[in-house]
Amino acid sequence: MLSNSWNNILDWFRDRSERSKLVRSFNESARNSFVSGIAPTLLKGKISKGESEYKHQFSNWLYTGYRIQAFTGRQLSKEELMHIGKVILNDEILVRKLVVLGWDTLEIHGDEGTYGCRWQLKDYIPLPKFNQE
Amino acid sequence: MNDTLIQDSLKVVEKVVAKTTENNDSSNLWMWVSIGEFAIIFGFVLANRFKRKPNAKQKFKDESLVQEVDFNNIINSSFHSNELYDILKVKCHPDRFPTDPKLNEIAEKLFQEITKSKTNVKRLQELKMEAEQKLNINF
Repeated sequence: MLSNSWNNILDWFRDRSERSKLVRSFNESARNSFVSGIAPTLLKGKISKGESEYKHQFSNWLYTGYRIQAFTGRQLSKEELMHIGKVILNDEILVRKLVVLGWDTLEIHGDEGTYGCRWQLKDYIPLPKFNQE
Repeated sequence: MNDTLIQDSLKVVEKVVAKTTENNDSSNLWMWVSIGEFAIIFGFVLANRFKRKPNAKQKFKDESLVQEVDFNNIINSSFHSNELYDILKVKCHPDRFPTDPKLNEIAEKLFQEITKSKTNVKRLQELKMEAEQKLNINF
């Protein structure tokens, strides 16, 4: 039991570090692409509350949403939001990482209004069933 | 005579006290070194003892975390994959090579791959090069 608790504490710290590393890397790439003119819009990733109905076996207790905000200065159309979402969801490695790091919801938002799209991450990756140990 | 004797004995006492405190300091230092060593060894033993045997879930997690994500490609694809896909799907469509069955087969394969990678700019650019070489298409 002591061993389990100790390992859980270590895992918690490791996951937190990996989560912030992923968000930081995404934001850094988005910023560099925007500054160099490759991307016409600045994207920013952050951790959000998420949707409790989308929980899976790796989900965190709190803050299970990964939100990407597009700073366009206008309201994005549904097609634009869907396209950004599809690009993220079609990257199998990224989705897998998001899932194992405890995220269960992907949200894409514009910088104006509350309009956005969200997806259930577990629909985009085959998650094996693990025995509870 | 008595005074000098007392003074001498006081000096001797001072020397003895100085020597014994010196010895104490060094023995204290070595005591702390040995405690430190013991703590390190104990730490290693505990870490080994508590090391978790990786279960299937942990293995899945570890494998997933090892892989690197190409964020630059993801950001680039979010804004430029559509236009490249639109060009490629028209230029590499198998119906554009009806007379040559070999070219038609290559175009068919390329077209399938293009459709599969429609949100991945990096892969689409590779396919564009492949189309230029194999199908002699000028973009």
